[in-house]
Amino acid sequence: MIDSILGSNNYQTAKKLLDVADLRHQAISSNLANIETPGYRRIDIDTNFDSKLKQATESNNIDNIRNLKPSLSIDQNVRGVDPDGNNVKLDSELLAMNKNAMTYEFLTQYLSSSIKRINGVIEGKVI
Amino acid sequence: MNLLPGIEITASALNAERIRMDVIAENIANAQTTRSVDGQPYQRKVVAFEAVLDHQNDNSKILGSESKNIIKKVEVGDIRNDPTPGPLVYNPAHPHANDQGMVQMSNVQVSREMVDLISASRAYEANLNVISTSRQMARQVMSIGK
Repeated sequence: MIDSILGSNNYQTAKKLLDVADLRHQAISSNLANIETPGYRRIDIDTNFDSKLKQATESNNIDNIRNLKPSLSIDQNVRGVDPDGNNVKLDSELLAMNKNAMTYEFLTQYLSSSIKRINGVIEGKVI
Repeated sequence: MNLLPGIEITASALNAERIRMDVIAENIANAQTTRSVDGQPYQRKVVAFEAVLDHQNDNSKILGSESKNIIKKVEVGDIRNDPTPGPLVYNPAHPHANDQGMVQMSNVQVSREMVDLISASRAYEANLNVISTSRQMARQVMSIGK
């Protein structure tokens, strides 16, 4: 029972995505900190992480998900650079931060409910 | 362990923006100063920001060994004087007027400083926003399993 929840694809993916959301928040805080630094380019999680995660989940091998490591890179998809070489936009950055915080909340609640389910089984309660 | 994600980076930005606001306050205060410490009219000061790699921030557990941590803090790299000369104003009654009755004023333009002040305070606000989101995230992670 415990293994079927804690070892499930969904649980492991959620754990990995929580790490990614933590890292993305750090990247966004770096972007907002450097919003007026000349020449700074916005950074984010590498764009190929999503496809790597998809591959890993489709392979049905837990270790593939566990060993997946996100990486940070300079965002190449931003259009419009300020005259001073900075391409951070305040509005889109705050939007990305709020979206990321929502994802984080969802993931923590999902992980929490998985653990609560195990607790319920141990105590013999129906949730 | 870092409970609040990105707090060091945001703290560096709050510090840098605060220094910038201090410099703007100094500029506005000295907008009418015709004799500075060196005997010349006051020259407005300009702050230059620099991005620096955050070495204390260790993300190696999440990132793995092969990818680099490129998260950057911000620091005030330099504070320099703006060398452009201020306007010459005809005011023979002024104690600092020269033989022709002209006074060399400081090169501070208050309107420009106000615009800079607004942009500094907006950037400060944005970083405070990041802190409150970090705190919210830490609180959520601590409630896992409760």
